Amino acid sequence: MVPEYISFVEKFCTGCSQCVRVCPTKTIRIRNNKAVFFDELCIGCGECTRVCPEGAVSSSISVIEPCMKDKLNVVIVSPVLYAQFPGVMPSDVLIGLNEMGFDHAIDLSYYLEMFQYAVDEFVLENRKSNNAPWPLISPICPVVIRLIVLNYPNLLDHILPLRRPVSLLGDEIREKLSHEHGVDKKDIIIYHITPCHAKVVPDRSGLMDELGFIDRALGINRIYPGLKQKLEQVKELELSLFPNEHFSFVPSTRGPLWGMSGGEIAGMRIDNVIAVSGVKETMAYLEKIEMGLFSDMEYIEFRACTEGCLGGPLTAVDRYMAKSTVQKFIKMFGIGRRLPRHKIRQLYDKGWFFSRIKPSELAGVYKSKRKPLTFDDMKKIEKLMSLIHGSDCGACGAPDCKTFAEDVVTEAADLKACFKMKE
Amino acid sequence: MSSLKKSFNVRCRDFIHAGEASISVQQLLKQMHIDPVLIRRIAICGYEGEMNVVMHGGDGIYCVEINTDRIVLDISDKGPGIADIAKAMEKGFSTASDEYREMGFGAGMGLPNMKKNADEMIVESEPGCGTRVRMSFIIKQSTPT
Repeated sequence: MVPEYISFVEKFCTGCSQCVRVCPTKTIRIRNNKAVFFDELCIGCGECTRVCPEGAVSSSISVIEPCMKDKLNVVIVSPVLYAQFPGVMPSDVLIGLNEMGFDHAIDLSYYLEMFQYAVDEFVLENRKSNNAPWPLISPICPVVIRLIVLNYPNLLDHILPLRRPVSLLGDEIREKLSHEHGVDKKDIIIYHITPCHAKVVPDRSGLMDELGFIDRALGINRIYPGLKQKLEQVKELELSLFPNEHFSFVPSTRGPLWGMSGGEIAGMRIDNVIAVSGVKETMAYLEKIEMGLFSDMEYIEFRACTEGCLGGPLTAVDRYMAKSTVQKFIKMFGIGRRLPRHKIRQLYDKGWFFSRIKPSELAGVYKSKRKPLTFDDMKKIEKLMSLIHGSDCGACGAPDCKTFAEDVVTEAADLKACFKMKE
Repeated sequence: MSSLKKSFNVRCRDFIHAGEASISVQQLLKQMHIDPVLIRRIAICGYEGEMNVVMHGGDGIYCVEINTDRIVLDISDKGPGIADIAKAMEKGFSTASDEYREMGFGAGMGLPNMKKNADEMIVESEPGCGTRVRMSFIIKQSTPT
């Protein structure tokens, strides 16, 4: 079955097996020259959508829907969007979105800053009591959370139990706008413009659930052409700097910086932090944390995409170009602090930041349906491996010989699919 | 009774590949749906043992034997051996060089940590004849059939 994160057009698929090779959880096989998915293993990283040369595998969420006239259309902007337009100020991007028909375009950077403060508080508090399992793992990247639930359940306790900024903001906005405009909460449609392939599709891992706070996701790459056009007009308009009174938090450089790998931790006070990006690197680090390494670290920012969210599958501009744009922002404006610490502390003490679900409760919500391998299976696999003695050619439709051997033993593949075994 | 044996070579001072044996074993056990907490204990012990070989032991062999009721890690090397095993088991005792300390190792926690995480541990060593550490882990009821 095709996972919900992906849209797959079978007639375009040529069976080239590029997606099979890049999939970090080995979810895809080629059968009869077409890709076949074991959907329960898909973590929504989007690696397959990047490599497909035929456009057969693409992201399922980036459908642009017209703004509805009888509803209040609100859009929460991922700061990665600003990095797509070099030389355009973030506030102008928000104006451009207004011009496109959104009633409110809302910047996230204020909430990102709050989140960073809350992480500081959490770490400092637990440093004193030495309660937390070190290192703590950032809850931001949804792909990493799914990866942990699926493959590293030991590390669930390491996930920081705070809600993501988007879900905090979405919650607040719906509350405030329905109050101010006197509209029913159901009549407010919250869109989220995102570079992330895994966002918003019902989150099987449930943690910090954005669903309910966000109604629709729009991929940056889909909104880019229209917005680019509008921005040309905005340049000539010279509107006021603050387009809408509500939630017109002026975008700060914290936002664009957040999209880069290392941007989340850059705004924190704590020092013993690392930023890791890329899904392979993330897996290698998670394995090491399971072996007890990095326990002297306090917080690890994981991003499944190389270079962080700027390298998300749904971006419009190359990640290194986008990074250059962000670096320009920072050179111009620096990284400011705007929030009074004691106010965040008050919110923190009220429990406002904490997620309603403990990360440890996620164990098993999301796991492989395959049968566990027995000792005999393991022996058979060893024997097959020595018979095949292959070079991971992939002609059988599996990503490598070992996976093929496992498939044969669990009766998911025919031994004759291997050309060495045909003789 | 069926059992599964696997062995890996561990090379002295090969920090780049250190930990690979432990990771392979970890992945193997995960596929067999062994209790994650047990896997973690085995991974910690395996990694500490592997690092001991890489740092002190010269070349060595990392063997794992998986039975239905227990898993045995057997890590042996041809290194200088341990003169006083009781002393080596003390927390904070280390013979690691300054070089290793600068790399963040040599806190004297390796063997004590292994002892803590293993159900049984036997250290055999004689100066000049190498060291052999055997650790067993008992698999509780949720054994795969």
